Amino acid sequence: MDIPIIRDVLEESNARAEENRAFFDRNNVFVINLMGSPGSGKTTILEHTIPILRSRSLASAVIEGDITTTLDSDRLSALDIPIVQANTEPFGGDCHVGSHLVQAALSHLNLKNIDILFIENIGNLVCPAEFYLGEDRKVVVLSLPEGEDKPLKYPLMFRECQLCLLSKADIERHLDLDREKLLFNLGQINGALDILTISAKTGAGLTDWVEWIITQRQTQR
Amino acid sequence: MHELFIAESVVGSAKKSLPPGVEPESVIEIHVQVGQLDAVVPESLQFMFDAVKASHGMPVAELKIETMAVRCRCPGCDLEFGLDLPVFVCPECGDRHVELLRGRGIFLNGIRIDDGKSMEERESTPL
Repeated sequence: MDIPIIRDVLEESNARAEENRAFFDRNNVFVINLMGSPGSGKTTILEHTIPILRSRSLASAVIEGDITTTLDSDRLSALDIPIVQANTEPFGGDCHVGSHLVQAALSHLNLKNIDILFIENIGNLVCPAEFYLGEDRKVVVLSLPEGEDKPLKYPLMFRECQLCLLSKADIERHLDLDREKLLFNLGQINGALDILTISAKTGAGLTDWVEWIITQRQTQR
Repeated sequence: MHELFIAESVVGSAKKSLPPGVEPESVIEIHVQVGQLDAVVPESLQFMFDAVKASHGMPVAELKIETMAVRCRCPGCDLEFGLDLPVFVCPECGDRHVELLRGRGIFLNGIRIDDGKSMEERESTPL
């Protein structure tokens, strides 16, 4: 006997994401799913972004995704903001933060008086791009040392995101990077992608990034 | 390695799709379509499916994977086209804001239940 059917295999994952979405809406929280390779600078960017947002009277919280350690959330704890560590090891060591993991994290997070929630995904340019978590925007951090070919190698990631942060701009002069080619490749994958160049170390571009967040949040509301 | 999560989701979706009275043990084939853009490695998905199927009560089920090619539409000139490479640019007018029609997502598209037919009979009637 054959049972013909068309069913989204990720329907359960997406249903949980929609529950997250409704929760975020009820709490009036703007949510950014921050993705990128290990070492691209996601945590450092948050360390430098959140104080600027605070200076603009916007309170942040973070769900810190990792496979096993609490190293990143330990770093961010100096910011004195609500942080929940979401390790995937008890969920099978997944290489991405799933909507079920976000849901579990939300039960430990008081979003009252929080304006912006960052979900720092696990360092990976493949798997996190696949899954909707209920976020408002997806942002990929691509550090310049990673090279101009990455958009072509990981098209889904750059196709899914609304913004690409080109990080570590302070060391660009030391790299054999073809910037024109990098921008061309990004455009080949996603013509609607916003692109900002930043350096968390020097602070270059961070104001533009914060303005982008504020503008997108206002658009969403 | 998101294939483990996807394999678990495939088995879960298949179980939910069984008609009343049909036991998971009787599932012999599960057919899925995987979008070309989804960066799923078929061999890895197959491996993970084989690793988890018994624990979900489908010990003899086989996974049949079909890749769903990317297909786009240009909003500028209305051309529909496929992609050999991940270059989302209209080959006709060069518009870079092309719309993705298919090639993204993972879909269950059929389940075969053991009904006593021989392998030859089954193979002559593709799902």
